[in-house]
Amino acid sequence: MSKGLHIPEELLDKIEYILDHLAEKARTDCILLADISGQLISVQGFMEEGTPAIVAALAAGDVAAMAELSSRIGESDPHGSFFHEGETKSIYLHNISGSFILIVIFRTETPIGLVRLFAKRAVEQLVPLTKEFEQVMGPPKTYNPDEFSKGITQELEDTFPTN
Amino acid sequence: MFINWRLREINLKIVYYGPSLSGKTTSLQYIHSRTNPERRGELVSLKTREDRTLYFDYMQFEMGAISGLKPRFNIYTVPGQVYYRGTRKLVLKGVDGLVFVADSQIRRLHENVEAIKDLYEDLVELGFSPGELPIVLQCNKRDLPEIMPVQSIKEQLGLNGIPTFESVALEGIGVLDGLKSIVNSVVTKARGNIN
Repeated sequence: MSKGLHIPEELLDKIEYILDHLAEKARTDCILLADISGQLISVQGFMEEGTPAIVAALAAGDVAAMAELSSRIGESDPHGSFFHEGETKSIYLHNISGSFILIVIFRTETPIGLVRLFAKRAVEQLVPLTKEFEQVMGPPKTYNPDEFSKGITQELEDTFPTN
Repeated sequence: MFINWRLREINLKIVYYGPSLSGKTTSLQYIHSRTNPERRGELVSLKTREDRTLYFDYMQFEMGAISGLKPRFNIYTVPGQVYYRGTRKLVLKGVDGLVFVADSQIRRLHENVEAIKDLYEDLVELGFSPGELPIVLQCNKRDLPEIMPVQSIKEQLGLNGIPTFESVALEGIGVLDGLKSIVNSVVTKARGNIN
């Protein structure tokens, strides 16, 4: 099992550049990048309604279910995509190598073909970057493991205050 | 676990697992109600028309920065019914810690045992080694008649030696104790991985 996902700043810069480019070309409202377990990695743009973390969690469930559905009919494409067309806004989801998810939210005036075209190009650029994600980076200079463990106790009290 | 060094955030995933109607969703609802509103996100539930969990329940809460890192917890439940096994496995992807919610009633022993067997099989298929994940046992419905002794539940489930909490999720009794225990265990393990 992996030790977890560690994303260094320089990789985030490259990811955001790709997402910015996609947003501009495809005229999207908001673009999210999440890992396959639903952890939000990057947000480009603004969601008028909803919370990015929740959208990422739900998208992960959707992509996982769709991948399972596809496998039941003999398909095993790790880069599958699908979209939901709404009355005013639509969502396009793209599975990246079975490990990450690109989530694009756009207005229905924007043609789905445009989104699909530029999203595919973005995914091609994202694939090599996501392979670097597992690289473990050093902790921040302020990080002290003993302090971190002790601090949790106090933070738990503040998060779940007694009445 | 996902660490974003730019935002100095550490994201951790905890899953409430157990047989159907054991109290997983009720536990999460209580946790949400007791979480500092400034630190919690919305509680999302994907339910059937009969109000049973179809996919998962989900909430997020965060803590203040500790030693330069801000912990953020994503809490999920799984649907307990037997035929949603595929869904349970999907929700387990990327999990950092587990709370097994057992139904303490004697007549539910079989369902508890089947659920723990499914859990271990799913974890192995997902690439986890036995004993690798922090796990906490929450023995729920302790207020009902005809319940098993906690020690018997632990033995039947093969969960001797793990932190165990008696709970009455409908009243919130014991729920936060179990959550705090798994948070501490997950953070301790994450601490080792950051080093």
